Amino acid sequence: MQPHLKKAFTLLAIIIIAFIFVRSIAVPDSFGEYGWYRGDSVNELRNQPVEHAGSQACSDVDCHKTLYSIWSESRHKTVNCETCHGPAEKHVSNVRIMPEPANDSRDFCGLCHYKRVARPGEFPQIDPVTHGENLRCAYCHNPHKPWFV
Amino acid sequence: MESLVWGYVYPNEAEIQWSILIVLYPYITGLVAGAFIASSLYHVFGNKEIKPVARFALLTALAFLCVAMLPLLAHLGNPLRGIEIMFTPHLTSAMSGFGYIFSFYFIVVVLEVWLAFRVDIVKTALNSRGWKELLYSALALFSYDISEKALEADEKLGKKLAIIGIPSAAFLHGYVGFIFGGIKANPWWSTPLMPIIFLMSAIVSGIALLILLYLIVIKIKKYPLNYNTLYSLAHYLWIFLIVDVVLELLEIISMKYEALEEIEIIEHLLAEKIAFTFYGIQLTMGALIPFILLLLVGVMKNRDKLKVVMVTISSVFIVIGVFAMRWNVVIGGQEISKSLAGTLTYEPVFFGQEGVLLAIIILILPLIILRVITYILPPWKDMIEENEEAVVSSE
Repeated sequence: MQPHLKKAFTLLAIIIIAFIFVRSIAVPDSFGEYGWYRGDSVNELRNQPVEHAGSQACSDVDCHKTLYSIWSESRHKTVNCETCHGPAEKHVSNVRIMPEPANDSRDFCGLCHYKRVARPGEFPQIDPVTHGENLRCAYCHNPHKPWFV
Repeated sequence: MESLVWGYVYPNEAEIQWSILIVLYPYITGLVAGAFIASSLYHVFGNKEIKPVARFALLTALAFLCVAMLPLLAHLGNPLRGIEIMFTPHLTSAMSGFGYIFSFYFIVVVLEVWLAFRVDIVKTALNSRGWKELLYSALALFSYDISEKALEADEKLGKKLAIIGIPSAAFLHGYVGFIFGGIKANPWWSTPLMPIIFLMSAIVSGIALLILLYLIVIKIKKYPLNYNTLYSLAHYLWIFLIVDVVLELLEIISMKYEALEEIEIIEHLLAEKIAFTFYGIQLTMGALIPFILLLLVGVMKNRDKLKVVMVTISSVFIVIGVFAMRWNVVIGGQEISKSLAGTLTYEPVFFGQEGVLLAIIILILPLIILRVITYILPPWKDMIEENEEAVVSSE
């Protein structure tokens, strides 16, 4: 082979080897251990602190039993307590730590209830411009027991 | 927002995800494949009439190849992540396959450009001083052998590369078609014809672009125009245009004749959503008018000035028409809902990460790169030399 072609192919080989080298550094060691992802991420995720306690945790006799029983029979029973009230694991394990105040902004309720063409027609939806004079939704509607105005 | 939606659509479809940048991606890749195949008309099939633009076509392919990935990286949001499909490729990922085909093709094109220009590079390296000598010596890999034996070896390798190059150019662009054609959830995309349609329109757009760039170079540099080259390119353009349009129409006709359950939404798409870009730009402006003009160019004798104008108009129309074809595929396919019972509307934004402005910049970038490459590796002498020969022989 001509020397200049030899050089060209050597250069090409160097580039390919460099790619393989960079790849071996960049790809995490545990990649592919269980599947097409970094195996270590399973442990990392498992070790993350628990933030949510689940709605059941609120139903204790000494806690929010009444509110829980109202909510659990309402149409909002599919919306968990922590959806609006925020993560409550700390509060459950120590009642002195209060959770963040519930999110009662119009836009938050609107995530489900603003009018969208793709939603089923019978689902309660409002036009935020014409409905409710920009008041907070909870001013008229009880979020624990809709439709209880 | 409601006016943008018709019928029943799923909630997660409300926003069209693949924007104008994803229209650009097959468009630019197509220009690469087309320009490369135009150059191989001389390098492989030995069509002497193409010789004046053969090396220029190679450089055009290289310049567009440099930016072919940019629309995808910009669309990705985090461009550094792009390399990960190369690092950990999955066999079921069509995109990671594209990454490897793209890289392979890039190597083939760079090697071919290097071989085509090696004599010039070595001569410039030997005849210059200072940084210029260093640059060209580096490009020559510090080997200055341009003896006959060395050139023979170059030519042999060049032939081999070109023979690998054509299938890989075809594969590169056919693959882009496959990425769309392989999506079974979308009736507007899911057809085995898609790769071959993409490939044919790629060749058409690449040759049209080459004609335009050739005419611009002739205008700027004030070179005499080589009519044989121009007509030869126009002839190939015409042939590939016919194949391309026939395939595109075949697809629509078989869809309509089969009339599967998706036909209603596709007819709605064609009639309401992309009627102008499909019937108006893609078929009439991008195919019918150039077809007639190029046919006339082939039939007419003399009247060279008029023929040049006709070839120019056809090329401009085809370049726009193929862009419309990409638009109709990428945007059109997303404007029908997966429910097959509703449509959505894509509203391009001007600024921003997925904006029209960025698309324009990405589309202009290869022209700037081409200017830089042709400054380093001027292919102009082919255009003059050949022409003089042609003039002499005609006398």
